[in-house]
Amino acid sequence: MSGVVITGWSTTSPAGVGRAALVDRLATVVGAAAAGTAATGDSPLVGAATAVPDGAGWPVEPPPADPVEVTALSDEPLPTPTGHALVDFDVRAHLGRKGTSFYDRATALAVVACGDALRDAAVEVDDTNRSRLGVVLGTSLGSFRSTSDYTRETLVQDKPYLVNPVLFPNTVMNCAAGQAAIRYGLRGVNATVATGPLAFLDALRYGTNAIARGYVDAMLVGAVEEFSPHRAWTTWLTGQPGRSIPTGEAAAVFLLTRADRPDWAGPRREAEVLALTTGYGPGGGPAADQALTGCVTRAVRRAGVDPADISCVLTGETDPDDTDEYAPACAALGHVPARMRVSRLFGRCDAATGGLALATFLASEPPEPTPRLALLTGRSPDGGTAAAIVRGWPGAGASDR
Amino acid sequence: MTQTDPRMAELRDIVAEVLELEPEELTETGDFAEDYQADSLRAIEILARIDKKFKIEIPQSELPQLNNLKAVYDAVVRHSAGQV
Amino acid sequence: MHRVVVTGLGPVSSIGIGVSAFTDGLREGRSGISPISSFDASGFPHRNAGEVPGFRPETLLRRIEAARWGRSGQFAAAAARLALADSGLDPATVAAGRAGVVVGTTSGESVVVEAVTAQQVEAGFGGMDPDLLGQVPAGRLAHAVSTELDLAGESLTLATACSASNYAIGYAYDMLVTGEAEVMFAGGADSVCRWAHAGFFRLGALTADACSPFDRNRSGILTGEGGAILMLETLDHARARGARIYAEVLGYGVNCDASHPVAPDRASIANCMRAAHRNASIKPEDVDYICAHGTGTPANDSVEAQAIFDVFGDRVPPVSSIKSMMGHTMGAASGFGAIAGTLAIAHGFLPPTINWSTPDPALAGLDPVPNTARETGVRVVQNNGFAFGGNNAIVLIGAVE
Repeated sequence: MSGVVITGWSTTSPAGVGRAALVDRLATVVGAAAAGTAATGDSPLVGAATAVPDGAGWPVEPPPADPVEVTALSDEPLPTPTGHALVDFDVRAHLGRKGTSFYDRATALAVVACGDALRDAAVEVDDTNRSRLGVVLGTSLGSFRSTSDYTRETLVQDKPYLVNPVLFPNTVMNCAAGQAAIRYGLRGVNATVATGPLAFLDALRYGTNAIARGYVDAMLVGAVEEFSPHRAWTTWLTGQPGRSIPTGEAAAVFLLTRADRPDWAGPRREAEVLALTTGYGPGGGPAADQALTGCVTRAVRRAGVDPADISCVLTGETDPDDTDEYAPACAALGHVPARMRVSRLFGRCDAATGGLALATFLASEPPEPTPRLALLTGRSPDGGTAAAIVRGWPGAGASDR
Repeated sequence: MTQTDPRMAELRDIVAEVLELEPEELTETGDFAEDYQADSLRAIEILARIDKKFKIEIPQSELPQLNNLKAVYDAVVRHSAGQV
Repeated sequence: MHRVVVTGLGPVSSIGIGVSAFTDGLREGRSGISPISSFDASGFPHRNAGEVPGFRPETLLRRIEAARWGRSGQFAAAAARLALADSGLDPATVAAGRAGVVVGTTSGESVVVEAVTAQQVEAGFGGMDPDLLGQVPAGRLAHAVSTELDLAGESLTLATACSASNYAIGYAYDMLVTGEAEVMFAGGADSVCRWAHAGFFRLGALTADACSPFDRNRSGILTGEGGAILMLETLDHARARGARIYAEVLGYGVNCDASHPVAPDRASIANCMRAAHRNASIKPEDVDYICAHGTGTPANDSVEAQAIFDVFGDRVPPVSSIKSMMGHTMGAASGFGAIAGTLAIAHGFLPPTINWSTPDPALAGLDPVPNTARETGVRVVQNNGFAFGGNNAIVLIGAVE
């Protein structure tokens, strides 16, 4: 599984569009947090804690960010007027009108992020490489809004078949990946993985496999989730009463290629994907925890790294008291590294969570310019688990050629 | 008469929106497929919007002939005859 | 590198549930089309589909409680349970985490999405049932299988629309070839739903009573449903346990049209066939039978046939479409195709294209195996799957040499 590198990336998130917007946002919030309560090291953890490695407290997990007013994004009443959304996002400002007017929001966020990731990696798509370049995106169920609204039309129209044919492809979960391929002419492996909170890590595994098996030379790997009344109400109605986390949205996309990549796949080497593992353990409780512990243990073994060198764990946890990922991860690592929950900055982003975590890791300037290791974890309510180990290289903006 | 019939302006807006054009970019005889890269989905959606706006059902069998704004307008006139 | 074989088949279909009934259905050219009963179709001009009215999940499922899972998850889990029984494998003999699941789908838990949408229409967004919202994520298709069979390995749902089962089989093949797993359950599931029925009708792609692929007067698809799961394992694993081996998975190819969300692309499909042949190390003349995507729309069948002519030249093997019998089962479709292709090899017959009466002069040279199954030896089957989003995927299955 190793030997796959990241040569560029982008996010469309509440921080804005592109790498610089995320870097700026992190500098602001993390800087403020570091000045206030650096290295709090919350460790109500299993008895696994041994030594805290050098560099603990990086990246410093910020306090929860305030959500913004999002009522402009919905004609329907929302359970709360605020969320973590890119309220002023306008796909036309990025891609023009032609071909974009019937995008749903998830597709628009993802296609913009794919284009920006190609730009960031300095990849020029042309007839010599387009069949060797693919896309895999993660989702929960595509655009819940597009699908539900299409059904709604069949229920409320005079005739149930008076639906808009142009919007029909938006009801299919592969819409965003297919539109990204159309927009940028990407004819290689094109896939959509639909595993909700695990979707980004599963997409990373899918994309890594496609490269390792030689089906393509490079993949745009990402995940997307849109803000909509459908998701806002789902978050609200299925969350714990009185402590519902704000609903968020984002797309995060990375350009993955082989370490011995062709020249066109980007000059930089920003990070290396060392290992990806998945497992399944339903029902909650210790047996289910064991599924994630097992994932992390296998990932460490495959990555061939010393677990003590893993200085941070980026989890998909959303609840303030939730250690469903952190505790099993620490148990497997044998120590208590810093934790970063991107939900503190971006709310509940479901499928996009892992992508935001990786982007946050890459966008955070470490105190020392040395390679650094991160563990990313994911866990779904039904029992799915996934873990990834990524090595970030210093001087991310520089070419290694 | 085409120039004074307010339906022409309304049709122009409908077609332009579905074909992702500014209304002034759309000419009466510009071919939807050749000049504006329209596909059959968009043509069907134009018919659907006409159905909703004017309460006129133009059969999908006429789609192949409805290849420009003038032809769409003529079809609307034809199918609204007798409906006032 | 391991070789990969098919040792268990689990079809839950409108022409038969279980491998024996399904085989009989294919041989008899049975039609599974009936008036729609799963939703009120009275407002639609066309009211037939390939539902599975005989599906009684509680009679097939042993571990999961049907009421807690959506219809598509039930299809997937029941199909996997049948595949496991067919294989004779005792899952307790497989090391934990070495058996996994990959399920493909177009619309996921579409029936659940429609139910919560009906609640929205009735009572507003706040009136959606939280328990049903918990059943909405598409990732639960694979999780239903993992829970039903108590498997701790990968549990992945791929949402690449109507070629998704071939994607799933391909990914499972990769996991086995590379030694990531020893046993994989792979295929797809989908359910008949209002929105897809409406959308295909609106596209002018839905026929009234009978789907007649490759006929001059073909006029569209009928929507269908079901679950189609194959149990795959490494050849070594199958031999070590003395398993009955149906056939070998030789390889697969995937690519993307990157041109139009719904219209198929002749050159791209031909390229996908060539990629699949290359990855499976076979030549076109090795293929004895093509289990076609064959939806029965004028466009698909014409484009698919032309692409076949481009690749196979003047030696075109018989090409039939089982969608003539079952309708278009969406994400399950290429799974049923893979099962049919496996049975063709194991039992020496070609499934027919039923409802065929009039040759299409534009498809001269194409033998659709009209109306009656044909007894003949089959060594290599090409199973085609194409999809919205330009997601083409082709699997090659062969007799075990």
